[in-house]
Amino acid sequence: MSDFVQDNIWRKQMRSTRLAAMFAVLIAAGLAPALADEKIVTGERLVNADKEPGNWLTHHKNYQAHRYSSLSEITSANVKKLKVAWTMALGGIEGGGMWSHGGLEATPLAEDGYLYVTDGWGSVYKIGTHGGKPKLIWKMDPKTDRDWAGAVTCCGVDNRGAALWQNLVISHVIDGRLIATKKDTGEVSWIAELADPEKGETITAAPLIVKDMAITGVAGGEFGIRGWVAATDLKTGKQLWRTYTVPAKGEPGSESWKDDYNAAATGGGPTWVTGSYDAATNTIFWGTGNPGPDWDHEYRPGDNLFTNSTLALDADTGKLKWYFQHTPNDPFDYDSVAERVLIDLPDSGKKMMVLADRNGFAYALDRDQGKFMWATPFVNRVSWTKGIDPKTGKPLEYDPQKSIQPYLGAPSRTNLIGTACPGNMGGKNWPPTSYNPNLHLLYIPVIESCNQLTVTPTKPGSHKAKEFFTGGGPKQHERITGSIVALDVTSGKIAKKVELPFPMLGGILATPDLIFSGHPDGKLSAYDAKTLEELWSFETGSGVNAPPITFSVDGKQYIAVAVGLGGAWPKWFMDSTPELKNIQPGSVLYAFALGD
Amino acid sequence: MNRVAFFAILLLAAQLPSAPVASATEQGAPSSRVLRQGKNIYKQSCAGCHKWHGDGGGGYGGAALSLRTTHLDQDQIMEVVRCGRPGTGMPQHTPKAYEEKCYGISIDDPDIEFPMKANTMLSPDEMAAVSAYVTNILQGKGTPSLTDCEDYWGPASHNCRDYRSGSSSDRTSNTPKEDH
Repeated sequence: MSDFVQDNIWRKQMRSTRLAAMFAVLIAAGLAPALADEKIVTGERLVNADKEPGNWLTHHKNYQAHRYSSLSEITSANVKKLKVAWTMALGGIEGGGMWSHGGLEATPLAEDGYLYVTDGWGSVYKIGTHGGKPKLIWKMDPKTDRDWAGAVTCCGVDNRGAALWQNLVISHVIDGRLIATKKDTGEVSWIAELADPEKGETITAAPLIVKDMAITGVAGGEFGIRGWVAATDLKTGKQLWRTYTVPAKGEPGSESWKDDYNAAATGGGPTWVTGSYDAATNTIFWGTGNPGPDWDHEYRPGDNLFTNSTLALDADTGKLKWYFQHTPNDPFDYDSVAERVLIDLPDSGKKMMVLADRNGFAYALDRDQGKFMWATPFVNRVSWTKGIDPKTGKPLEYDPQKSIQPYLGAPSRTNLIGTACPGNMGGKNWPPTSYNPNLHLLYIPVIESCNQLTVTPTKPGSHKAKEFFTGGGPKQHERITGSIVALDVTSGKIAKKVELPFPMLGGILATPDLIFSGHPDGKLSAYDAKTLEELWSFETGSGVNAPPITFSVDGKQYIAVAVGLGGAWPKWFMDSTPELKNIQPGSVLYAFALGD
Repeated sequence: MNRVAFFAILLLAAQLPSAPVASATEQGAPSSRVLRQGKNIYKQSCAGCHKWHGDGGGGYGGAALSLRTTHLDQDQIMEVVRCGRPGTGMPQHTPKAYEEKCYGISIDDPDIEFPMKANTMLSPDEMAAVSAYVTNILQGKGTPSLTDCEDYWGPASHNCRDYRSGSSSDRTSNTPKEDH
């Protein structure tokens, strides 16, 4: 193992004004032609990622965000023989800022038997898995200033994974950096600064590689940021475009901020979950998060575009093709950041974009024009609206003539305490869905919850950099549980649902006749893809807070998952799941394969 | 129990602390070891909501009150740490605080929304240490300063940049000030 990032190197490279110098290094080192015998990751390979079933080349497995693998050695008939093949301890458990420990939320990548996985503080690990044994090839430690970034992240020490491009591993750090690491040696080629913790900006999502660009989303909706999606040219290191999710004065959408004190400047709209890409139309689909301040929606009268929206962006320019807003003038913290799942229905020819929103509804939109198709509640209790208008896709209470939307049970300045179902962690948070294209089932990892929300009226001018800007806060008043929903996307109806004792905090992997998911109490389970009957489970001994993947090496199929409970839950929501207080922090990568 | 009666009990309780541990005020000035211990506990158990500077404010932990402007004495603060604050997000840090004694409230009172239990419970010595940290380092200290920031984060911390550049002179305009 070697550690190639030296403190003095990256500190010298920290300032964006020195990018030119950095990219001289890039040209000299990072972009040197790959060795003749080394496979590079091209845009064509990423577009055709499903043609490499043994690999997991991009964050959501394919550009359509299916998280579905066609590997079929492990089936419903033999999954009971699944055993631990190996484990590897990782790092990143250290605390920093307001956080007592880090956790693991990463989706590992797999290429030709090598795994690339990140820990919460942004270290990248390359692990060889040939011969059924794990071997750490290198670790890239970005030497994160943990107290700095950890002081301005609302929801844990999080890094959800890396990306592959050419002969480099591309990764984010929670402190706002984008780092390119040589895939063969682990040496850092270059570093760019994209987000600024001094503004409350952090990065937790994995990069999305599109052509020769890294697409980056930003976190910080609880700190009064102005959200954006940005594209970095990986050949030059220059920013190609940055599209703000909250318009500046005079720009389209700015009329939806009706105050006279520029609430839009701290209007939120973060983009902290990796999006998807339609190569046929060169369109990036990305979700945006809550407006700020979270709960005091009277501070920001209007619909607050383009928060809580689906954005369809031209990949080359970042220009908005269309948008669809799911929860206008949100008083509930219902980020619409979920991964957008791209689905072509073979019978009808429909090209859909489906997401499971934090507001408790799964939506289908026509993905070429953004036209609403249907919405289905997937949680047991929805209290904030009587439903979604089947024509407009808006909540039934929504009135475009009103500046403050009258959602049911919303907290307000005259009724300071409200109650909402789903609670503010939403019906589905960042843990990703998966989609089985043969069964046409979307699997949703559900949080079944209600919570109380208190408004603290926000005064204009009161925003302070690096301070929470939430206009109140949530409180847990009852137990929170979970479920898995299998949604038939051909009908928009729930095909099957299984109730679970704990919220789903780790995401789902789909294979031809199984799904896999971890649980925060430490259990990893395999379910029948149609009946959702649990067919196999294993106790990892710590909390599972990351999505499983599958890959193959030496002709054998493995299931891999990062184990170590982190994120927002342990700090802010634990009282609603008291048994989880016994879960200790951890940081281990597990791999499973069929035994004899 | 109506809210007026409830808060009257709280007020009375604040005047007549009932913590079972030795009175903090009887222990004299805290040692540097106690203050270091208190700071470590504060970082782990308190700073997420009350913030590093203790001035509180909004966030995922709820709207925490200011410890810089609190008028509670050290024993009263320790009781709040031990018992939490009913009806708010302030958790209790002793598992059976209300079975023992808190603000004169009965564990059987159906009208009380008892506080949640903290993720990490604290021993009497630990509660005394963190209460000593609050009263000696945070309470009554006015607007947070560069010195306060560097004492907390360390002398070279990025977190104190704003204080070095003088742009954090008025931090508290959005912070609740009342104590109970």
